[in-house]
Amino acid sequence: MTPVHFSFTSAFILGLMGLAFHRTHLLSALLCLEGMMLSLFIALSLWALQMEAIGYSVAPMLLLAFSACEASAGLALLVATARTHGTDRLQSLNLLQC
Amino acid sequence: MTYIVSLFLLGLVLGLVAVASNPAPYFAALGLVVAAGVGCGVLVGYGGSFLSLVLFLIYLGGMLVVFAYSAALAAEPFPESWGDRSVLGYVVVYTVGVMLVAGWFWSGWYETSWVVVDEFKEFSVLRGDTSGVALMYSYGGGMLIVCAWVLLLTLFVVLELTRGLSRGALRAV
Repeated sequence: MTPVHFSFTSAFILGLMGLAFHRTHLLSALLCLEGMMLSLFIALSLWALQMEAIGYSVAPMLLLAFSACEASAGLALLVATARTHGTDRLQSLNLLQC
Repeated sequence: MTYIVSLFLLGLVLGLVAVASNPAPYFAALGLVVAAGVGCGVLVGYGGSFLSLVLFLIYLGGMLVVFAYSAALAAEPFPESWGDRSVLGYVVVYTVGVMLVAGWFWSGWYETSWVVVDEFKEFSVLRGDTSGVALMYSYGGGMLIVCAWVLLLTLFVVLELTRGLSRGALRAV
């Protein structure tokens, strides 16, 4: 595992740990998801560049389009939460608590 | 170039530490902006100039601006930065954890594994990733249509989620 592979792998795992362990704000969780998507984009691009498989440099573009869909749906949920509850703290979404 | 790319890799990990340590969303968005900008530098160092440009313009210029704008919805009177006690503990724990795992792999990293491969090539105007992305319009046409369809579907999803009258997903407002 070269240093660049270690870097994006640790970036992905850090984003995953931030998403799993911290849930005060909904926006913090969405930002951690975006960080995971960023590390995936860098990983796919580096794979296509290092292997010199130029046909596969389409894959990061498609990943970026799908991550734009994910980000827009998440932010729409954030706006809907802020309109119904007045805040985006996940403690206020207590209908989901069991 | 090798030293600069090494600094960029360090900045990528530290940017994700800054996001994952759960500060206020203002500062988390700032950390993600730093991580995205530094990731562009990593891709330039490895020879993907067009993909780096796409990452800079679309991701950093399009999506993160929307995220920074949405941070206004999570406004707090006293936003906690990385220096506060609850956040600083996570910063220290994540940094030490990454350094421990890096120390585990340290014995396998020689001098040549840090060198960017692109330094040994000639200068070239036509890079591989530019022509590779252009394949999306010929052989990747099916995936292009799927992508456009998904984006259109997401537009209607967002419109239905935020409508707020008697028909949408929000009926309490």
